[in-house]
Amino acid sequence: MAPLASAELSEKERPPRVNLQRYRWVRGAVVAWMTAVLAGAFLLKIPRINILEHTARNLYFHVPMWFAMMAAFVVAGYHAAGFLRSGRRARDVRAFEAARVGTLFGGVGIVTGMVWARFTWYQSSGLWWNFDPKQTMAAAQLLIFGAYFVLRSALAGQPEKRGRISAVYLLFAVAVMPFLLYVLPRQMQSLHPGAEGNPAFSEITHPIMRVVFYPSVIGFIGLFWVLYTQRVRAAALEIRQGMMRRA
Amino acid sequence: MTIHVLRPQQQADTTSTAYDSVWAGEEAGAGASTQQQPPQQSALERTMLAQDKIYVVLAVVLLVWLGVAALLFRTDRRLAALERRMDDTK
Repeated sequence: MAPLASAELSEKERPPRVNLQRYRWVRGAVVAWMTAVLAGAFLLKIPRINILEHTARNLYFHVPMWFAMMAAFVVAGYHAAGFLRSGRRARDVRAFEAARVGTLFGGVGIVTGMVWARFTWYQSSGLWWNFDPKQTMAAAQLLIFGAYFVLRSALAGQPEKRGRISAVYLLFAVAVMPFLLYVLPRQMQSLHPGAEGNPAFSEITHPIMRVVFYPSVIGFIGLFWVLYTQRVRAAALEIRQGMMRRA
Repeated sequence: MTIHVLRPQQQADTTSTAYDSVWAGEEAGAGASTQQQPPQQSALERTMLAQDKIYVVLAVVLLVWLGVAALLFRTDRRLAALERRMDDTK
């Protein structure tokens, strides 16, 4: 990117800048990596377990949504803290876009979980939602982030104030995440694995599934990074356009 | 002298036997039955219909993924064009 008009701008006003070379490299790697993960997810033989059957493969898709969401929210919190320290608009933009893409992954995680549970846990009951502790806490987490977006839009007219207040709120929202997603669900009876003190997998998870699961987590976090960076680029363009109009 | 069992009329019974080539193909693909195989089955069908047709799902998912990835690349090109135009005007 050539030096922009914003070079004359103060450090704090400058729009975010993206390292395009790194972005393109990661994007290519993510596309190739995820294609391999998808192939592995369907081609590798897994043990057939009663009730689960082939839906056990959802482990490769549903669970990484949450990992991607958590990674996104940690990135958002990191930039929120950075904004409070430096007051740079670029950090505010990054925090917001990371939270946005993270919320997308969380929403997809909730919906995929509902579909999965409907045809396994709640197969005969016909339920889509039964307030399993982890479901409930994940929904609460998404609502907390939903409030972040409401807060931002409520302060739309005052960018200074909006940046500061929403960054403080975002830090709170990220800070409660480990408790909502890890600590509390494990204190209660839950159908999700982990409630018995098992850190991650059920004892019925076949080792071969980890071969796909971990790369899938990495791939989806990479996909988050690509989508987030793309949005940051678009936001930077909007800011520059606004500056041109003012000039 | 051998007594041949009288086989039921295939065309009349559509509930217990395969009447559709696709279903017969699935059985053949899984290597279950060679009795009621349709005469011709392409290599593609033999591959895609095996393993409870999971390869069909894989094909669909890969197509969806490639479509999304293509959109990602196209959006990037649009962003790059805009970035270039803005760099030029200033």
